[in-house]
Amino acid sequence: MAEKRHCEKVLSLALDIAKNMVKCGAEVNRAEQAVMRICYAYGMEKAQVFSVVSMIIATVVDEESGAHSQMRRSYSYGVNFGKLEKLNALSRRICTETPDIDVVRLELESICVEDKAFRLKYCFGYMLAAASFAVFFGGNFMDAIASVPIAALIYFLQTYIRVKGASRLFFTALESAVAGFLALLFVHFGFGNNPDMIMIGDIMVLIPGLQLINAVREMLHGDLMSGMLRLLESVILAVAIALGFAIPVYFWGYMA
Amino acid sequence: MDFREVMTIVLSGMLGTIGFSILFKSDKKRILCNAVGGALTCLIYMISCHYFGHIVVQNFLPAIFATIYAEVLARIVKAPATPILACSIISLVPGGKLYYTMYYFVTSDPQKADLLLSETLQISAGLAVGIICISVIVHELNRHKAKKILEVD
Repeated sequence: MAEKRHCEKVLSLALDIAKNMVKCGAEVNRAEQAVMRICYAYGMEKAQVFSVVSMIIATVVDEESGAHSQMRRSYSYGVNFGKLEKLNALSRRICTETPDIDVVRLELESICVEDKAFRLKYCFGYMLAAASFAVFFGGNFMDAIASVPIAALIYFLQTYIRVKGASRLFFTALESAVAGFLALLFVHFGFGNNPDMIMIGDIMVLIPGLQLINAVREMLHGDLMSGMLRLLESVILAVAIALGFAIPVYFWGYMA
Repeated sequence: MDFREVMTIVLSGMLGTIGFSILFKSDKKRILCNAVGGALTCLIYMISCHYFGHIVVQNFLPAIFATIYAEVLARIVKAPATPILACSIISLVPGGKLYYTMYYFVTSDPQKADLLLSETLQISAGLAVGIICISVIVHELNRHKAKKILEVD
């Protein structure tokens, strides 16, 4: 028996948490469970939720005030496991302690502060990943060094050039093309030995590995629709990366 | 197996895993877990490459290990399993094959390109099957717990 305002607040909170989870790279199954758990924890009698990758819709039914529905649509997402873990801990805490909704709402807002600035820490992650994978796939030390500035440039482009709402595919292909061109240029001027190893290091940074893993796990849970969407997206992104690197490789023969 | 080669792969795989943990914005205290998982996955990859000739099996075994590692560790530290799995398994993702597929297509060598494309898909399939094998067991174990909440009708 809860009043209308309470139902709406609970539903809104649950959906905001779930939406941010999916945006950080969680499987939809986890987000759906979180919505259900939170709704039941706050005393809703019946809750139904459905989610595909970019949309979550949920209804709670309460005998006194009827049914309430809300939906959330997420347009962009970036992997952020730190945030995901915090959200997961928050939803666990809601289930065990059921704190006041307004307190949880404040905490959610403090977790979900958008940080779009250029961070040296993450830039270092890109550089380390690219350099290691250049060696992993058979490159030498110089190739690893040469892939570092390119990885930093990729991070720079991803932070500053990507406009909200613009095509992710186009930007991935653009970044790949720039990276490929730079790799060939570096080797031309004697910085690094194998352009292929330098490029592979930078491909690994761009490749949608998490998408693929999530696709497999979602399909297994029976979320066929989200799984297929993710699988399709990761395949298309892989094609965009290949296409991006193909342009400099193809035209280099004519330029040099 | 050449010791030096194995060490190169394991170390570079571990550093790559650390790089990806930072890139994926993992929590600081998880980076060590991920690095150990990545290094062990690479080691098992090298071992299975030594003993098995089939490209699917070579990737299937380390994928199984990485999934078990992620699921067990997730239970211990009370965190979602996917972040640990994604970071530990990232070095097996066929980025190199993808590049060579593209390269041979561009340089007009369709036979080699087809071969590498099929290898890329086989590696992905091996990884996927490995993840599924373990996830299906974990899923079954979890189902009884989740039943109360999800099957209300």
